[in-house]
This record gives sequence, structure tokens and C-alpha cells, in this order.
Amino acid sequence: MEKVLEVIELKKSYKKGFIPKSHDVLKGLNFSLKKGSITGFLGANGAGKTTTMKCILGLTFFKEGQILFFDGQSLSGDVKRRIGFLPERPYFYEYLTGYEFLRFYGELSGGMSRSQLNGRIAELLARVDLSHAKDVKLRNYSKGMLQKIGLAQALIHRPDLVILDEPKAGLDPDGRYYISEIIRELASQGTTVFFSSHLLHDAEKLCENLVIIKSGLVIFEGETKQLLSEVDPEVEIIFRENGQLKTKTVMGEAELQVQLSDLVRKGVSVHEVRRKQISLEEAFVEMALRGEKTS
Amino acid sequence: MREVWVIGKNTYKEILRDRILYGLLVFALLLIGVSLALGELSFAEQTRISANFGLTGIHLSAVILSIFVGSTLVSREIDKKTILTLLVRPVSRVQFVAGKALGLSLVIATLVSGLALVLVAVLSYLGMELNLILAGALIGVLFESLVLLGITLFFSSFTTPMMTVVFSASLFLIGHWLGSLRFFAEKSQSLEFSVMSQVVTAIVPDLENFNWREYVIYADPIPLSQVLWAGVNAFAWFGLLIVLTAFIFGRRDFA
Repeated sequence: MEKVLEVIELKKSYKKGFIPKSHDVLKGLNFSLKKGSITGFLGANGAGKTTTMKCILGLTFFKEGQILFFDGQSLSGDVKRRIGFLPERPYFYEYLTGYEFLRFYGELSGGMSRSQLNGRIAELLARVDLSHAKDVKLRNYSKGMLQKIGLAQALIHRPDLVILDEPKAGLDPDGRYYISEIIRELASQGTTVFFSSHLLHDAEKLCENLVIIKSGLVIFEGETKQLLSEVDPEVEIIFRENGQLKTKTVMGEAELQVQLSDLVRKGVSVHEVRRKQISLEEAFVEMALRGEKTS
Repeated sequence: MREVWVIGKNTYKEILRDRILYGLLVFALLLIGVSLALGELSFAEQTRISANFGLTGIHLSAVILSIFVGSTLVSREIDKKTILTLLVRPVSRVQFVAGKALGLSLVIATLVSGLALVLVAVLSYLGMELNLILAGALIGVLFESLVLLGITLFFSSFTTPMMTVVFSASLFLIGHWLGSLRFFAEKSQSLEFSVMSQVVTAIVPDLENFNWREYVIYADPIPLSQVLWAGVNAFAWFGLLIVLTAFIFGRRDFA
């Protein structure tokens, strides 16, 4: 399967302080994205998510490593034509109307005739439910409307890879749902979506793949369900002893097997084994605490 | 080139919709208005005084626009992070800087043309015979604005907008005093002063090369060779400064 993005041993450092001292932000990051996948990019504040995205997009220069697009190409004008990006907390040209704004980015991206671009703008405005506000200046848009028009600018040129930095930050549940729907729709059309988020509940529902970073290193890369199964959950064993139902809580698979063998040996009848459903939030915290690379 | 034009068009729209331009327009119109009133004071020299004052108003407006709007032209995109969505498009950093410069240059040309029409109307009303000398003087204002815009963009690529204004305004003043500096250096006994004056003269564009207001006042035709040479001079300075700006800007991290 085509690798849409491949990040290899990415290292980046910044100089900080009055007497500049080098501070490593990315310490050899490795991960890749498959075509048509939705991948969540998770990590605590300061873990290096935004820096990674900026390195990928050529906004920040990195000191070591390699970033390859669409089966081995380096970043170039042609590659940029296939990428869409929505930055975190976007500020747009507030003196432009929604229509002018999309037209500007469409013209910059190139590859469309005037009539094609007009058609695409109308299609996108309808998709993000902003047709009614196409002639309103962006300074009069609400935060949710800005996020939607921001997403539309990222999609104006029908990119193959869409990178979204905290696309749902500060949105109400309606807005979050709307963005999720668009992301799902993109993936169903074969577009690869890579987005960072603090909203783990949303990421859990939306992403089939996850890349989790901590202190500039990838600590997990793989399928969401793999992460959820890797983190040992609580298990309740319900058994009958001396005519009474009793419950025993154990942590993880290994302890469960030990306890079950023990109960069987004693001749106790095991009534039920109930696994607690672990959330991505719990798995993420566990993984971050472990701080070890599991994948 | 398409990218430069698209960014230029957007910059043009941005500045035209900004309030600073209208403040400047009012200031220039006031100066032209005052030129009418001052002209009334002197019966014989009325049109000359009015022409001089009017041209000064247009000149100052263009200079203020170049320096003040130019100082935030790029930094505003960085502060508001709009640059992030621009540079991820197939747009190089050189094209970005060139596009911004083109946009502001078009605004300056629009401002100068608009004010020139007002001045022409005033001077016609006063009975001045209109000729190409006035157009030449206005072209000189445009050339100077172009050089100042290049200087401003260059400083803005590595310092704050406030410092950019200070540096650019200083070079504007020095650029108009180079003739005096040369004169004093020739008279001076000090070797250090002479060397310093030669260095300054070599690295600072002589903005008096674009000042043809006196030709208008004395109704002297501006030699075509002078206009052409000034044009080459202005575009060479502008090109050099844009290349330097793009070079510095190209090495910048947008953290």
C-alpha cells in the first residue's frame, strides 16, 4: 500500500534563553501514514506535535532525518499541491469574505480554471454549511464558522493528504461532530487524514490509527484497537463459593490467568469474567506514564 | 509568476480595506488644500507654491505608506499566522516576499495617481499650464517609494516593526542629505569623517536622485536620460533589497 507520508529519524532543536542553549524538541521521530487512513497524532502539550507538523510542511527546518511523501518524494511545489493544512487556532484574512477567502487559496493552489474554482467554492461552502455567509467578511464569523472555512481552504484543491492541527479545539459538540463527519467522508474518498487532538474521546471514535509521542519520541504507532488491547485493563471475576456469589478484581491478563487457575483448582465455579472497557484516555495516560516504546 | 500576482492582488485588497490608507488620504488632501490657501497669500507665485506644496503632500504620503505599511507587511502575516496557510501552498518564500511588495507598490501607485488627479485639478483651477514635468516629478515619487519599500522590507525581515520604521526613516533622512554629507566631507580635514562619508554614500541610496519638484516649480523639462537612469537605479536597488529580504526570510523558522 502507498505510503503517503514517512517520517524517518526526525530531529529538531531550538535555541532558547538569553545565552542561547539548544533544546531538543524532536529526538528521532519515526512513523508513516497509509493511504486513505485517519491517523490521530496524540501527545501532551509540548510533546512536539505542532513542531512535527511544521517540519512536515516545510515551515520549520529540521537538523536531521528525512520526510518523504507519496512513496518517497521530498517536499516540493508538486507535493504541496497534494497537501492541505489547517493550523491550530487559525487567524485568517478578516477583511475578505468567505467566498474571496476560498478563491484566494484556490488561485494560489492552481490547477483549476475560473469556472472549476467557482464550482469547487460553491460545493465546499455548501459542505461546511456556510453558503449563507459567503459574502460576509471573516471578521464577522464566529469561531466555529472560522474553523469550518479554515477546513474548506485546506480542501479547496482536493488534496490527497490533509494535515489538521487541533481541528476541533474550542468547538461546541455540534461543530466537533461536523468536523468528524467531514474527516470520515474524506477518508472514504481515499484522502489520508492526519490530525492532532487533545480530545481523546473524539480521536478514539474517529481514528483507526494513532501515533502517540512523548518528549519528542514516538511511544506508540499502530491501530487504535491494538493500543486499547495492549494496555492491561481491570477484569472482574464473578464466582460462586459456598453458595454465595463473590467478585474479585484483577489487573491485566497475566494475573487473570493465575487467579482463574487458582479458582478452578479449588473447585470453585466461575460465573462470569467481566472485562472493563478501557477508554483511549485511560490507555493514553497509561502509555504516557509507561513512557516506553511499545510499537 | 501567477503566485506573485495572486499574493499581490490580495495584499492590494488588504491595504485598500485598511483604515490607515484613508487617514493618509485625508492628510494628503489637507496638504493639497493648504497649498491652495498658501498660494492665495502670494499673487505672483501662487501656482508654484501650490504645486510645490501639493507635490510635497503626495511625496510624504507615499513615503509614509512605504515605511509604515511596509514595516508590518510581512510581520503581520507572521504574527497572525496567516503565513502558515500560505507557505504550505506551492508558493516559495521569494514569491511570497515579491507578492507582498507588488501589492504595496500597486497601492502606492494608486494613491499617487489619485492624489495627482486632485493636484492637477487644483493647479488647472489656478490656471497653471499642465505639462509632462509634473508627471515626471510624480514618477520620481514612485521611484523613491519603491526604494524605500525595498529598504523597509529588508529591515522587517530581521527586526521588529518599530525598529524597521526607525531604521527606514533614518535612511530616508540620510538618503536626502547625501549631497550635504559629500559637501562637508570634501571640506573636512578629518580622514575618518571622509572615509565614513564615502562608506555611507556607497551603501545608502541617494534619494535626491528622484526629487524633481524644482523642475516643476521652475517649469524646466526633466531630461529623459535622467528619468531613465533614475528608473534603472530605483529598480536595481529594489531588486537587490528584495533578493536580500527573500534570502533572510528563506532561512526563517515559523515556530
